[in-house]
Amino acid sequence: MTQAIELRIPNERPFHGVARLVVGGLAARHNLSYEALEDVQLALVTVLEGEGYASADEVRVQLDVRDDAIGIAIGPVHGDAVRRELEESSDGDLGLGRLLGTLVEDAGVEAREDGDWLQLSKRVRGIKAAGTNA
Amino acid sequence: MPEEKNDKELLRRYHEHGDTEARERLIEQYLPLVRSLARRYSYRGEQLEDLVQVGCIGLIKAIDRFDVDRGVELTTYATPNIIGEIKRHFRDKGWAIRVPRGLQELNVRLSNLLEELTVQYERSPTIPELAKAAGVDEEDVLEALESGQAYATLSLSAPSGGDDDSDLDPLESLGTIEHEYEVSEDRAVLAPGLAALDERERRILHLRFFEGLTQSQIAQQVGISQMHVSRLIRRSLEKMRDEIVTEEEPRRASESRR
Repeated sequence: MTQAIELRIPNERPFHGVARLVVGGLAARHNLSYEALEDVQLALVTVLEGEGYASADEVRVQLDVRDDAIGIAIGPVHGDAVRRELEESSDGDLGLGRLLGTLVEDAGVEAREDGDWLQLSKRVRGIKAAGTNA
Repeated sequence: MPEEKNDKELLRRYHEHGDTEARERLIEQYLPLVRSLARRYSYRGEQLEDLVQVGCIGLIKAIDRFDVDRGVELTTYATPNIIGEIKRHFRDKGWAIRVPRGLQELNVRLSNLLEELTVQYERSPTIPELAKAAGVDEEDVLEALESGQAYATLSLSAPSGGDDDSDLDPLESLGTIEHEYEVSEDRAVLAPGLAALDERERRILHLRFFEGLTQSQIAQQVGISQMHVSRLIRRSLEKMRDEIVTEEEPRRASESRR
């Protein structure tokens, strides 16, 4: 079963905090570790605040939780520019490709009816809450 | 400014005879210096009196550690100590003005709990675990963590090298920089935006994104808290983005028109 949340925010820095909080709420309910939450939030902010990725003044963020992963879709984006940054990675480059490659397990551009979307996937290991009985 | 001769005499009385009254008098004499230095930093959202208190800790440390036979004036020795203490305060506990005190305090508690629970569980704790340990709701934890962003923005993104930062900042790198790192990060230094970062910021980004270390592993290596590592990573990436935008504005403008 999947659970999905969609957020539609102005693509301005003050609203990015709202997106971070929503991701945090989702993480809390699915027992993500603090470090995994940090990774997802940082990946999201990296895309939202990176110049030239989002292609509209309003950006949509879709979060869906599966059994083993959290999916994050951000769109619409400039698909060609994002694809290029994901693919072009030299040894010393700390660009989008290396950042997302460290923070999430999968990152790719998906063509949708309303434009290109960046699709991220973060693997989640189910963590039993400490102090609970089996 | 206190008279130097009088200073030496008071310092000798304190250091050689344990005269705490002499120490008190030195502190009183140097309070105007502390206040003057604290005033430089009070615009960052901290109450002047709080910063004076913090600066006094630096002054007391300077008085206690001062070597009377070294031929250095107390003013010269105390000033970087006072500034260092104030900067450390901002680095560890500084907050944006709009963050309520309760959230600030919870954020500090969470930072400590994060360390403790990571050791206890041998993994990074979850939000519910942090909430339970702190005795608060999960929402409070999330809000307090988010408030750390205000901290990062205000206290950590202030530009270095300004008039009040130009003296010296011994605490910025004390005990945290391993110079062997310089060789391994040479290639990364050349990357766009990285030049805008200081050595510690580059090192932390290198460990995270080139060596693949987790935040807690970096915290252990660098000797700072995990939450501080998180703030430094975010701040560094923000600085890089700003730098890259400045450098490549024409190219990006052209791309966004495609």
